[in-house]
Amino acid sequence: MSGNVAALPLRVVLAGNPNTGKTTLFNTLCGLRAKTANYPGTTTALRIGATTAGTDARLEVIDLPGLYDLTGSSPESTVAAGVLDSEAQPCDVVVMVVDACNLARNLVLTGELLAQGRRVVVALNMMDVARARGIAVDIAALAAELNSPVVPIVARRREGLDALRRAIDSAAKTVAAAPRQLPAAGASIDTLMEWADLVSARVMRSTAAPTTADLLTEHIDRYVTHPLYGLVVFVAVMLGLFWTLLTLASVPMDIIEALFGELGSSLSRALPVGPVRDLLAQGIIGGLSGTIVFLPQIALLFFLISLLEDSGYLARAAFVMDGRLSRFGLPGQAFVPLLTSHACAIPGIMSARLIPNWRDRLVTILVAPFMSCSARLPVYVLLISLLFPNPRWAAVAFAGCYALGGMAGLLTARLFGSTALKGNPRPMVLELPPYRVPSLTNALLAAKDQAMAFLRTAGTVIMAICIVMWWLSSYPRVAPPAEAQTLRAQAATMPAGEAQSQVQQRATEIEARASQAGSFVGRFGHVSQPVFAPLGFDWQLTVGIMTSFLAREVFVSTMSVLEGGSGTSDVDAGVVSRIRGMTRADGTPLFTTATSAAALVFFVLAMQCLPTLAVTRRETGSIKYPAMQFAYMSSLAYVAAAIVRQGLLAAGFQ
Amino acid sequence: MVPRVQTPSRKLTDLEVGATARMLGAEVDAELRTLLRSLGLTDNSPLRVCKRGEPCVVQVRATRIGISRRIAQHITVVPDAVGPAPLPATR
Repeated sequence: MSGNVAALPLRVVLAGNPNTGKTTLFNTLCGLRAKTANYPGTTTALRIGATTAGTDARLEVIDLPGLYDLTGSSPESTVAAGVLDSEAQPCDVVVMVVDACNLARNLVLTGELLAQGRRVVVALNMMDVARARGIAVDIAALAAELNSPVVPIVARRREGLDALRRAIDSAAKTVAAAPRQLPAAGASIDTLMEWADLVSARVMRSTAAPTTADLLTEHIDRYVTHPLYGLVVFVAVMLGLFWTLLTLASVPMDIIEALFGELGSSLSRALPVGPVRDLLAQGIIGGLSGTIVFLPQIALLFFLISLLEDSGYLARAAFVMDGRLSRFGLPGQAFVPLLTSHACAIPGIMSARLIPNWRDRLVTILVAPFMSCSARLPVYVLLISLLFPNPRWAAVAFAGCYALGGMAGLLTARLFGSTALKGNPRPMVLELPPYRVPSLTNALLAAKDQAMAFLRTAGTVIMAICIVMWWLSSYPRVAPPAEAQTLRAQAATMPAGEAQSQVQQRATEIEARASQAGSFVGRFGHVSQPVFAPLGFDWQLTVGIMTSFLAREVFVSTMSVLEGGSGTSDVDAGVVSRIRGMTRADGTPLFTTATSAAALVFFVLAMQCLPTLAVTRRETGSIKYPAMQFAYMSSLAYVAAAIVRQGLLAAGFQ
Repeated sequence: MVPRVQTPSRKLTDLEVGATARMLGAEVDAELRTLLRSLGLTDNSPLRVCKRGEPCVVQVRATRIGISRRIAQHITVVPDAVGPAPLPATR
């Protein structure tokens, strides 16, 4: 062998059942150096890390998704088969992570791997828990039964890792030989289970009685999966989760927005006036800010979900919601994406990865943007203030908007389930792992992984969208209107002071209005206005709808600019009263009851967020689904808004 | 010694909390049956009912499995003749 070959790292694949501490082992072995990447021949992102064997051998560690066996047609089994049988990157050693407390069931997958003639090192994890539960495993006897090295470890406390590294190193130099009594490759799970039960009985001794920990788990489960108490616990946990998410994420989000705002204005001051300055200060900085501002929410959300999952509660919560959501064709796990989407649909859609079944996950992703996200909030505030001056009715209308979005999402899920995505959600069968203190390290690394994945893929798309939308709403440049020129000339003759700056500001506002109207988006608004005529939208409202595709809250600043004021995005009394005074070309009021209500319903239901469509495209791997999402939601919004307007007109409202 | 009597098969959902039984079969589609097997509910494996209702929770070896009622009612088991008290006749 040449030295060149010896320099190649050993390729080690981590396999194991779910909830056996495989991720913890991966994290303690590879730490921060791990990256998430697509493995050749698979479409699923896997975590790949590097470590050493304690000798001069380097190890490349690939973390498989948790799986129970290789025979099923589950996505996990397919991914595992793809990695294990990869011809481009053959694996040298499989480290099978086995939960010492659940030896027999874990031996099924171990047996399958051995029967395929692979070099297997068994990492017998959670030895501490096993000992505490009175379970004793004869390590030497197990190694003899499996004809493979068995290393007892406690991944959480980094115990036994050096021995594991050495075992991997020496296993790579041996020839695998399957144990004699093992059923041949391709045996049924029942046959393997019988073998596993036999082996387990020979090497393990346990005090038969359920331990106090078991009884406690059983007792807790009786409450947290109870139809009533379970719901109370669920609501409390979710309120806690979202309170934490919104409170903690808002701080870095504000800082990020302030920093980028500052960066944009200092660039504007430093660079000469011109298209390059505008592209940098508004387009690129705006695009960066619009992408990075989502990061704190995404990282924090995945941190919290990882904690909940690790603690064992998430599996119980899925059961609490299963009965309620299955009526609408959604699986129990869909509650996480749907609730998260009330903050922002982007992390919501990303969290749909929790749902194992592809059809179920797809339906959840498609309906998630119906949930009223925080970007709709300023628009709701504006339109509801126009509709209901009485705060009590405004509050009712607010709740109504959230309910309308939620109901539309659930009913759509049901509709898709009986048409385009036929099928019922899988009735749930789920392992209920023992309750544990969640691992902070695992949660931090999960947050980091998700944040990086978001930046790498969605980030670039969102940034591109932001730049294009900025360009469409700023170009072509139009000459300042005569009125603005007159004002500027007038200001030039005035003495410096408050009166002069007022006149100058008025000129800027008139110019902004003209440039908004003359831009591509503005012209497109003019052209497409007839389409929105049944909803009562004039060209200004149509432009507002167009610009809000960048982000819904832009609607407020667009309307404010078109009214002739400054482009503020804060909804205060002044803005509301100015926008209330907006008129159509013929001088009649624009925001009548019927038109405002139609616009409100439109905003609740319409798919008006290009970044969300980009994330749907990424998570579903096809342009078909974002197209379907956009077409369906926008048509529904259009029809519903038209019905509301016509209904109100017929009822005698203006 | 108590003689072992052949007990008839019952639905999993009919068992009381604490009852032990052996897995007989499940009238569910192949994918679900595979999933149940993967979790350890292979033919003839011993199980214990931890919770009734929605979801039904059973313990198989050291694994606790939550099973939606819609599936649990299609699972048939053979209750252990010797062991915890038989089911009450009336409810």
